[in-house]
Amino acid sequence: MKVEATATGKNVHPLLKVENLVKRYTKRSLAGTPEELLALDSVSFTISPGTTLAVVGESGSGKSTLANCLACLESPTSGNIWFEGKDIVKLEERACRQVRRQIQLIFQDPASSLNPRWSAFEVLVEPLILQRKFNREEIKKRVNYWLGRVGLSQDIVGRSPMELSGGQRQRLAIARALTLEPKLLILDEALSALDCSVQAQIANLLMELQGSLGMTYLFITHDLAMAAHFADEIAVMDRGRIVEQGPPNKIFIQPEQETTRRLLAAVPRIGRGDQSALER
Amino acid sequence: MRYLVRRLGHAFFLLAGASVLAFLFTALAPGTYFDEMRLNPQIAPETVAALRVQYGVDKPLPLRYASWLNSVLHGDMGFSFAYNGPVAPLLVVRARNTLLLTITSTLFAWAIALPLGVWSAERLGRLSDRLLSWGTAVLLVIPDLALALGLLIVALRSGSFPTGGMASVDFETLSPANKLRDLALHMILPVTALVLSTLPLLVRHVRASVADVLDAPFLLAALGHGIPKRTLLYRYALPAAANPLISLFGFSIGVLLSGSLLIEVVMSWPGLGPLLLEAILARDLYVVIGGMLFSTFFLVGGNLFADMLLYWADPRIRAESNAR
Amino acid sequence: MRVRRVLTRWLVTLGVLHGIVGFAGFFAPYDPVEQDRKSPYLPPMRFHLIDGQGHFHARPFVYALKLREGSFDRYVENTTEPQPVRFFMKGARYRLLGFLPCRRHLFGLENTRIYLLGTDAYGRDQLSRLLFGGQVSLLAGLLGAGITLSIGLCIGAVAGSFGGWRDSLLMRLAELFMALPWLYVLFAIRAFLPLAVSPLRAFFLIITVIGIVGWARPARLVRGVVLSAKERDFVRAARGFGATHGYLFRRHILPETSSVLLTQAAILIPQYVLAEMTLSFLGLGVPEPVPSWGNLLSSLQQYSVLVSYWWIYLPALAMVPFFLGYLGLASSLQERGAAYKIESRIWGI
Repeated sequence: MKVEATATGKNVHPLLKVENLVKRYTKRSLAGTPEELLALDSVSFTISPGTTLAVVGESGSGKSTLANCLACLESPTSGNIWFEGKDIVKLEERACRQVRRQIQLIFQDPASSLNPRWSAFEVLVEPLILQRKFNREEIKKRVNYWLGRVGLSQDIVGRSPMELSGGQRQRLAIARALTLEPKLLILDEALSALDCSVQAQIANLLMELQGSLGMTYLFITHDLAMAAHFADEIAVMDRGRIVEQGPPNKIFIQPEQETTRRLLAAVPRIGRGDQSALER
Repeated sequence: MRYLVRRLGHAFFLLAGASVLAFLFTALAPGTYFDEMRLNPQIAPETVAALRVQYGVDKPLPLRYASWLNSVLHGDMGFSFAYNGPVAPLLVVRARNTLLLTITSTLFAWAIALPLGVWSAERLGRLSDRLLSWGTAVLLVIPDLALALGLLIVALRSGSFPTGGMASVDFETLSPANKLRDLALHMILPVTALVLSTLPLLVRHVRASVADVLDAPFLLAALGHGIPKRTLLYRYALPAAANPLISLFGFSIGVLLSGSLLIEVVMSWPGLGPLLLEAILARDLYVVIGGMLFSTFFLVGGNLFADMLLYWADPRIRAESNAR
Repeated sequence: MRVRRVLTRWLVTLGVLHGIVGFAGFFAPYDPVEQDRKSPYLPPMRFHLIDGQGHFHARPFVYALKLREGSFDRYVENTTEPQPVRFFMKGARYRLLGFLPCRRHLFGLENTRIYLLGTDAYGRDQLSRLLFGGQVSLLAGLLGAGITLSIGLCIGAVAGSFGGWRDSLLMRLAELFMALPWLYVLFAIRAFLPLAVSPLRAFFLIITVIGIVGWARPARLVRGVVLSAKERDFVRAARGFGATHGYLFRRHILPETSSVLLTQAAILIPQYVLAEMTLSFLGLGVPEPVPSWGNLLSSLQQYSVLVSYWWIYLPALAMVPFFLGYLGLASSLQERGAAYKIESRIWGI
């Protein structure tokens, strides 16, 4: 895995290119008119390999729908998603399953993304077993390797996810996703449910992994400050559309849209309030 | 209003579905059934031939359903071989007796279960509540059959109650007041058996629902306003718990209907139970199907009544349905 | 955990009860169909330790019964000859668990027959009939519940997994079945089927009938579980790893249904035993001479029997400890399910 990330990455072929993605939900009831919900309204962006794009927005802005569509868990109503040059929207179930390997999703609530009835080991090896390509030796090797990589000790394998702390669970989820060696990792509010100090730890882990493995991240959050800490590029979403996009400096210093300013204002600041820098 | 219309439509759908099932029962049998009839020496071959034509055994299924439904709606529910006459009049008389029993038992059961459940919920966890829970558990684990037979033994031994039938031999000669008293005496045993068999279920649910409601903050507020306990329980808490209880009411009708079947046979009460039993033993199919239809009709009707009660009792449902 | 201990207690109790019935051959002194025409309607014999002369016997004994002077159905004890009870003695042949030939019984008498629960009109030992009848009734309940839960699981899984028109259709069908009063439907289906069949066929016939009638409620519950399990994140994650629908159902969704199915089993089994008892009591279930708790009671339909021979009533109460056990099991299972939910909430799952 090459380390080819540049801050802007404009010269390199994008790993992911989303073009005019639209997702419409229709709720049909037995009586009355069907209700329509436009979750994604012509969304477009690109992500270069080895970089992190943060998608920031309030709840209901369509961020999770975006994640689902990208991970091939839902089909968009229209638009294209180019992953490594191939359009993955049109794929049928079989081919989709292959692609799903390469794009992994980390969920917000690690407790619900790990089956509480299973042991940590079973949770971890599930993706490897599903791929059916590995024998027991291989599986054990990978499990041990990735456990170490995310900073978990070997003795947690026997325990149930319910017995682990929030941070440990999220590490487990990350390890599980990484066993498949995906190219793109979508983090859907992955840090939001954790305590502050734990957030920092996991964020650092993720950045370290990106550095050594050249991982590409799509980081979805409602927390602009976290996005700034993490991302090479920030896209602000509001009601299904991307309203503003740019590197963190620009977003913070010269926000263009109302939405962005609202999100900025929500960021807690320690120390003297330097209002002038925020207002425009 | 829309709510009621919807529930009415739902009831019709259920009755229609039940009628289809009932028809399928009759339709699936006729081939062998009419053969069996032919073998029966008590029935003339002409009757069999006429019945075959009448029930249109050779026509396609949907047509037969239509003509069957037509007959049923006109009051013709088939022919009873055991009684050698039309089914409907038989059923109506018996159904009336079963209804009498079931409705009386429902009223008594709820009249006892509500206060008991509320009283128990108020004293949740205390000794009196635990004793009552034990009592209902004991009643719950005794099968209805054992209850009915046991009551019968007691009654027979003591000789103070009439232990069978619905009326004494000299019923016709009694004055109206005495007729009523006679009827009531005959009803004591079966009603007691039915009430005892459903009481534990009802008490438990009332207790649970009211206990849930008693936790609500609005009750604490009302208590703080100085409203007396009794009013609190019956005019504030109970209506709030009405929703699940009214659904339970609908469910209890079904339980009581099935329960009454057995109790009627054991206690010789002339309702649908003994009739259906005889019919099965005599292979009198149309009586059995008719009985099933009647009972379904009562059950659906009872549930519809419960739905209407709910509409009347729960302002949220009224508001929601009128808002549209 | 406390709930688990209570659950285990109920399971053990039920296990013991079922074990006694399961090993009926050993616990029962005689074959249930064996008749003793000379001793119809014998009342139960009582254990004694002190005989007529005031002597104490270490081994408990009973007295044979003889007809009272001038009566044709009243008996008194024959106090001249105490009959010591022998334990673990050889007696009639039976098959343990249906296949192991055995001859040992828990207790019996050397010279004459012991009737701890009296006899019926044909002189058959009521205790033996009770124990063997329990096998039939309990098995009917267990198998019937098995059928219902299987059907309910299939239908609920299809409705929940596929959704759409299949879901609507199946749930409407379920509503329809729940709107029918079950005993009437049971009667209707029974009316269809031939009346006089061999006991074995009758047994399987009524199990099937009882099992089919009650599928609706379990199906709805399973559907609810499947619907909510489908939305869980770990299912979405597994899809992300390339899982097929079959895998998801098998490994993730199906285990979630286990608690619902177990609770329903604990509720249904006693109901179905009762249904079998009702049918057999009315003569529509398991026919003579095979005993079942229901047909053991059918002679009570005559008031004369009901009043004079009270011991024939006892099988009606045989169900009670079983009912109690299943009731306890069901409520501790429900408590466990609720506790699991609360625990999950604490852990944030």
